[in-house]
Amino acid sequence: MKKPLPVILALLGTYVLGAPLSLAAWNTQLVMDVLPTAALAPAPAGGLMQAETTEMTGQAAVSHTQPIVDGLSLSGTAWGMADSLPTGIPFDTLPTKIDLQSRILELKLAWEAIPGTLIWDAGKKVIHPSSGFFRTPLNVISHGALGNAANLSGGAVGTWEEGWVGTGLTALLGSFTLSNFFSPRLAWSPAADQVLQYVSTQQQDYQDLTQLDVRIGVADVRLLGLLSSGGPGSADPAVHLTAGMGVDSNIGDAVTVRAEGTIADSRTRMAVTSDQLPLAAAVQTVSWVPEALVGFTWTNKDQLSVMAEYCYNGLGFGGGDYSRLITYSQALRANTGAGPDLLDQLGTFQAAQHYGFLRVSGKIDDRLSAAGWTTVNLQDLSGLTGIVLTLSYDAWTVNASLMNAWGNTDTEAGLSPLLWKVDLEVSLFL
Amino acid sequence: MTRIRVVLFLSMVSLLAAAAGAFAESPSEMLAQVDARRYIPNLSFVMQMTSFDGDKQVDTNTLWGFIKGTGTRNRSLLSFAGPASVKGRKMLMDGNVVYLLFPRTTNPIRLSPLQVLLGQASNGDVVRTGFSQDYDVSSLAEAEHGGVACYLFTLTVKETSKDASYQKVLLWVEKQSLRPVYAEFSTGDKLLKQATYSDYQSVMGKDLAFTMDIHDGDNPQKHTVMTYEKVGQKQVADTVFRRDYLPSWVPEQPR
Repeated sequence: MKKPLPVILALLGTYVLGAPLSLAAWNTQLVMDVLPTAALAPAPAGGLMQAETTEMTGQAAVSHTQPIVDGLSLSGTAWGMADSLPTGIPFDTLPTKIDLQSRILELKLAWEAIPGTLIWDAGKKVIHPSSGFFRTPLNVISHGALGNAANLSGGAVGTWEEGWVGTGLTALLGSFTLSNFFSPRLAWSPAADQVLQYVSTQQQDYQDLTQLDVRIGVADVRLLGLLSSGGPGSADPAVHLTAGMGVDSNIGDAVTVRAEGTIADSRTRMAVTSDQLPLAAAVQTVSWVPEALVGFTWTNKDQLSVMAEYCYNGLGFGGGDYSRLITYSQALRANTGAGPDLLDQLGTFQAAQHYGFLRVSGKIDDRLSAAGWTTVNLQDLSGLTGIVLTLSYDAWTVNASLMNAWGNTDTEAGLSPLLWKVDLEVSLFL
Repeated sequence: MTRIRVVLFLSMVSLLAAAAGAFAESPSEMLAQVDARRYIPNLSFVMQMTSFDGDKQVDTNTLWGFIKGTGTRNRSLLSFAGPASVKGRKMLMDGNVVYLLFPRTTNPIRLSPLQVLLGQASNGDVVRTGFSQDYDVSSLAEAEHGGVACYLFTLTVKETSKDASYQKVLLWVEKQSLRPVYAEFSTGDKLLKQATYSDYQSVMGKDLAFTMDIHDGDNPQKHTVMTYEKVGQKQVADTVFRRDYLPSWVPEQPR
């Protein structure tokens, strides 16, 4: 019996050579990061001491889009990472020296059933309706950034993110676009199917996202609704609703503006139940939680750019509740291990309701650009500040970043153990 | 004396006749004809954009895309085929509204026209296929440019196109062929860009400038050369020029 493989490969080769000449080459990106970090850690003799460590990560991602016939294409991205400090926390080193992770970020078949009008896709894809930079309220289904390297650009979205397995239908009709994406629950036993963790993250809920986009003048208006449920037999079988709306527009040649908001019928958070020893916190369910963002970007002809955003975080604390959280965190810092840490330790702050963001960027010369950014907790005027220098060439870039937390010891950022973090990153594009 | 008057009179009559012959059509009709001779509907292309600072090459981008429409109200889909660091980026230009989609993302980012980074070329420069839709002719004269006899059109932006990138254009058009050879784009007072059109080739019965060299008005040492490497035609539905189509678009070279 003849082996069919060579015949199949020959047919496949003939087909690929005969396929429409498209921008279908393989895209590969290799990224190496070196991240020296200093943070406050518990000292053996009590109190706190400065701990320093250097995390090293190597990441690779390969993407490809292959047209099959006119209107039908297959595309995907695979990602892998080796990390010397998987937790990203200087005083929490693991016994294993290198942690390996990998995922299929996207893999989907897309078919334009009616060219330019009706598009169906199935597989795995990332869904990002938000236009926000430092916060993204409209990204109502998101796995978050992959990898432990901190995103030192100040943005909410990392370089790589894993998509959701599901199927979608998009109809473009005049000025309207109506789309729906359904994603099923995909759960398995991590013990029995260990290899699956290198392919995909589990999906704990059934999710159905419907989105309507309309162009009004030069403004893009977006409405979305997400229904989600763990389904029968799950920990949370109830059906939950998140609704959102966003607007993007231009003002003249130099300014873009954006505003978006969501409201979720039910979300959970950790809340302080006792700020006296013994410290105590418990999970709290909050109904009808709003989140909103407004912002603008101004750019001049020399590419100097200023971006400012404000975010209202409905899941955060205000007034007396916020003061209790700070008191609790101060007590926790003095008595390490006395309770769960409710403040984000090394990056994104979420405890307060009001945050502001400012980013200034520009070109220093044809190859070198610089950006400075700051995220400010507007309730206690503490925050994170970073600077990024980027040297760009055709096939590689070098980034040097520095991030620093600042604030008094009765503020959110001042209570962060992070002192500073540096990232030296080299990216190769093949 | 009478003879001199007769000679002067005849000279004036012949000058007027020459002028009337030269501008047999109205200036607006002539500008429309300049556009019509080079306008290819549904143009698809591969374009090389190389930026220079003096003689030093700063960067080169290769773009694949297509244009639909006329004037600066064109809508265009562009994808970056090179260099490797920008490969896979896709851009939609819809008049002054520009969206950029990075690889592995699904939400196109809205850019202001000044955020479009294509060397000295603006989004309007890339997708412009004509002048008559956005500009009125305020005067027409004869002039030489580079030793070539030209018509010199002075164009001012129409009330309906106030959001066009340039308020005033001086356009030199070769008399014999009606090919634009040179243009100066300004705010009215300040020169913003100078463009030289060259390497005309006959494509689908039209005269297309395969090379446009755009110089910065402030620093003419900085310039960007846009060269068509391949052109064709692609018929597409209007809806593909929607932000929401960009993630689904699979770019192809002209066939």
